[in-house]
Amino acid sequence: MKDFLWKIGGEAGYGIMTTGLTFSRIATRLGYHIFDYIEYPSLIRGGHNAFEVLVSEQEVRALQNEINFLICLNKDTYDFHKARLTSSSVVVYDDEDFKPDGDHKSAMVPFTKILKEAHGESIMKNTIAFGASLALLDGDISMLFDILEQQFGRKGAEIVELNKNFAQKGYDHIRENYKDLIQPYLKKREDKEKAVLTGNDAFALAAIAADCRLYSSYPMTPSSSILSTLAAWQKDTGIVVRHAEDEISVINTALGASFMGTRAAVGTSGGGFALMVESLSFAGVAEMPIVVFLSQRPGPATGMPTWTEQGDLLFAVHAGHGEFPKIVLAPGDADEMIELTLKAFNLADIYQTPVIVMSDMWLSESHKSVATETIKSLVKANKIERGKTITAPKGEVYLRYKLESDGISERLIPGAKGFFYQANSYEHFEDGHSAEDAVARRQQVDKRNQKTSTYLAAHFQKPKVYGDPKTAKKVFVSWGSMKGPILEAMEDLKKEGIETALIHFTHMFPLDRARLQDLFSQSKDYVLVENNSHAQFGRLLRQETGIDLQKTLLKYDGRPFWKEEIYNFVKSNV
Amino acid sequence: MTKVEDFAAYTPTWCPGCGDWGIGAAIKASFAQLGLDPSSLAIIFGIGCSGNMNDFLNAYAIHSLHGRALPNAIGAKLANHKMPVVAIVGDGDCYGEGGNHFLHACRGNHDITVIVHDNGVYGLTTGQVAPTALKGAKSKSTPSGIIETSVFPLTLALTQGATFVAQSFAGDMKHMVEMIKLGVSHKGFSLVNILQPCVTFNKVNTYQYYLERSYKLPENYDKSDYKLALSTAVEMNYEKYPLGILFQEEKPPYHEQVINYHKESSLIERAPFSNIDLLIKEFV
Repeated sequence: MKDFLWKIGGEAGYGIMTTGLTFSRIATRLGYHIFDYIEYPSLIRGGHNAFEVLVSEQEVRALQNEINFLICLNKDTYDFHKARLTSSSVVVYDDEDFKPDGDHKSAMVPFTKILKEAHGESIMKNTIAFGASLALLDGDISMLFDILEQQFGRKGAEIVELNKNFAQKGYDHIRENYKDLIQPYLKKREDKEKAVLTGNDAFALAAIAADCRLYSSYPMTPSSSILSTLAAWQKDTGIVVRHAEDEISVINTALGASFMGTRAAVGTSGGGFALMVESLSFAGVAEMPIVVFLSQRPGPATGMPTWTEQGDLLFAVHAGHGEFPKIVLAPGDADEMIELTLKAFNLADIYQTPVIVMSDMWLSESHKSVATETIKSLVKANKIERGKTITAPKGEVYLRYKLESDGISERLIPGAKGFFYQANSYEHFEDGHSAEDAVARRQQVDKRNQKTSTYLAAHFQKPKVYGDPKTAKKVFVSWGSMKGPILEAMEDLKKEGIETALIHFTHMFPLDRARLQDLFSQSKDYVLVENNSHAQFGRLLRQETGIDLQKTLLKYDGRPFWKEEIYNFVKSNV
Repeated sequence: MTKVEDFAAYTPTWCPGCGDWGIGAAIKASFAQLGLDPSSLAIIFGIGCSGNMNDFLNAYAIHSLHGRALPNAIGAKLANHKMPVVAIVGDGDCYGEGGNHFLHACRGNHDITVIVHDNGVYGLTTGQVAPTALKGAKSKSTPSGIIETSVFPLTLALTQGATFVAQSFAGDMKHMVEMIKLGVSHKGFSLVNILQPCVTFNKVNTYQYYLERSYKLPENYDKSDYKLALSTAVEMNYEKYPLGILFQEEKPPYHEQVINYHKESSLIERAPFSNIDLLIKEFV
C-alpha cells in the first residue's frame, strides 16, 4: 500500500487538533506508522487550524507535499492548501460552505445539514468529517466509537451517542454516495504495538524514566505540553511540578532542588531561556546539575510563537556569562529524544553542569509512532549514573570543589552530619569559600574546563552517518529535527538512482575536533541543511573544528522542510 | 547542645559599626538556641553585604545570584522538607532585583524564613538607593533625590499572603534573636525584616533615627488580627517603625499541599518510580 497524507482544516476552536491526534492514534492502532504536523496561529479562537497525518506501512519521519485527502471544514482549508492537491486527491467539503473548483476528486458531505437535522453543535462537524474519512479509507468505524467513548464518557451517555451518531452519518454518507472513491487504505494490518508520541511526550516520559523528581516551568509554546503532561503525572509518579512566576524563578527553583540532591529539569522556548541564562552560568560555576529542555520557535523576541525554526543553536551553545562547561544535545526524532533525555540526566549528574536538550516546534509537537518495545528497551538499557554524587564523605575533611584530574569533585548531598559546605556563585577555593586569589581562580577555571575534555573522551558521540558518504553524490550535514525530512528525501532520491548520505549531529556541543576530521574530506560535495537563515551549525562547526562547509540549503519561513524541497535541491544540483 | 561558635566561619569584613554585625550574631545565636547545627539546615544567601555572610556562617548553603535566593530556597524546601530553609538577603536583593520572587513566595506560603537586611541602600556597590529608601533620598544614583516612593515590605508581605510578618532592629540583639527563632519555627512563609543602619552610605536612617522612630508592639497586640496588622504596617509610610510580629496565622505550607507529600519521606528520600509501562499505555 502506498503512503497517504490526510489533512483536516477548519477554524481554530473547532477540535481540529483533537481530531487529528485521534486520526493518528487510529491509524497506529490499525497497524500503520504515522507522522503528523499541526499548523495553528497564536490564537485560541478564530484563525485557521490544520492537522495533517502521513500514514505508511514503514516508519515515517516527515511529511510529503502531496495531500491525498483534504477534509475541509471551511473554505479557508481549501484555499490555503489546494496547491498541494493532485488529480487523484480527494477533497471532502460541504456545498453550503463552498464548491471546490480544482482538478481533483471530490466528495460533498452536508455537514451543516446533518448537524441541523440531529441538533448537533458546530464543534461536532469534525466528528462527521472523521466518519466520512474512515469510510473513504475503508477503516473500521468501531475504533472511532471506542475513542469517542473514552473522550466523551465523562460527559454522559447522551453526548457519546450523539457523537457516535454523527460519525456514523458521515460514514454512511460516503458509503452510500461515493462508493467509487473508497480505497482500502486503512485495512487492519498486523504490526508491533506502537505509541503515538510527540518530542515533548518523549522528553516527559524519559524524564520520569530518568528519575527526575522536580520539573519547573512557565508556559511557553512549544514547550508547554511537557508542563501539563508532567503535572498530570504527579500523582502516579511522585514528580513535583512547579509552575513558577517567571523563567528566572523556574530555573532557580530547579537549582535549589538540585543542590539538595534530586534530579531536576526545566523546559522553555527561546524567550524563556533568555531569562534563564544568568542562572545557567550560576549552575556552571556552582557546579549544580540541571537539565534544560529548549524547544525553539522562530524569533527574535515573540517571533512566530506557533511555528518552527532551528534558530537558537548558537544562543544555547554560548548562553551564560563567563566561561564554564556546558553540554548541548539535539535529538532528531521522538526515539532519539528518549535516548538523549535519559543520557542528559546522567551527564548533568556526572559533570555537575548544565545540559541542554534542544527541540523545536516541529519535533516538539509532531507525533510519530514508536514501537512500545523500542521505548521499553531504551528505558531498560539506561542505567542511572549519578557520577560523583555522595551521601557521606569518606574522610573527615570534605572539599566541595576539590581539584581532581578529571575536573569533577565529589558532590555531597546536604544533610550528612558533621559536614557542611556552600555551593558558591562567586569564584571559590576548594572548600567553597569565596576567592579572589589568583592561584585559586586559575585552578578552579582549569578544573571546570577539564570537564569538557573528560566529556569528549568519555561521552561525546560522533554524528550518526546514514548512507555511504564514500559513494554518495551529495552528503547532507545537519542536526536535530532535520533528520526526518532528509532521510525521507534520501529514500526518494535513491529510487531515482541518486545516492546520497547524511551526517546527522546530535551531540552539538562541545565538539571533538580530532574525531570529526575524518568525516569530512576535501573532495566531497557537502550540503549543510538547516531550518534557520544563519547556517548556525555551519558556523559552530567552523568555530570548533575549522571545518568550513560552503554549500547550504536553508529554510526560515517558520515552516519545516518538505522532503520534496531537499529532493528538488539535489535534482537541480547534480 | 550546639554552640554559637559552631556556626562561626571567617571573620566578617563588614564596616565597623555596620548593622550586619548584629544581625550576623543574632542569626548564629538563634540557630544555636533552636538546637540546630551547621549540618541540619540549608541557608540561601543573596548577593550584597548581607549575602557576604556566606563566608562568615557555617551551614549547607548556596551563595546564590543577586535577587534569586528565594526560588532557590523554594526548590530546596520542595526537595527536602525536613531541613529548615533560611534565605539571608538584602533589601535591594529581595525587594528590587528579586521583587517578583518575593511576592510569589509569600503567595505560595512556602515554608522558608526570609531574613532581610533593610538598610535603604546598596552598600556593596557603594551607596545607590535601594527600593526601601525614603522618597527624596539622595544617593549616587539619585543625586536630586529618589522620585519613587518606598517599597513597604511589611505591607507588601501582608497583602501577598505571608503567614508570618515580623520586623526587628539591628540595634536590638535580644529582639532579633526572638524574631528569628519564631520565624524559623513558624510553619509557612516567614519574613523577618530587620532595620539596619548602613553607617557608610546612609546618613539618614541611622541608629539614632531608628531608636527615635521605632517602638515595640505592646504585649496585648493581637497578631492574629489581619486588619490591625495592615494598619500597623502602614505606619511605616509615615516613618514610624513597629517592631515585633505584626501578623501570624497557621495555614498549610506549599510543600504539604503538593499531591504526593509524605511527611515521613522527603522527595530525595523516596524510591524511584519504576512503572514506566503505565505511562507508555497513555500513548497507545
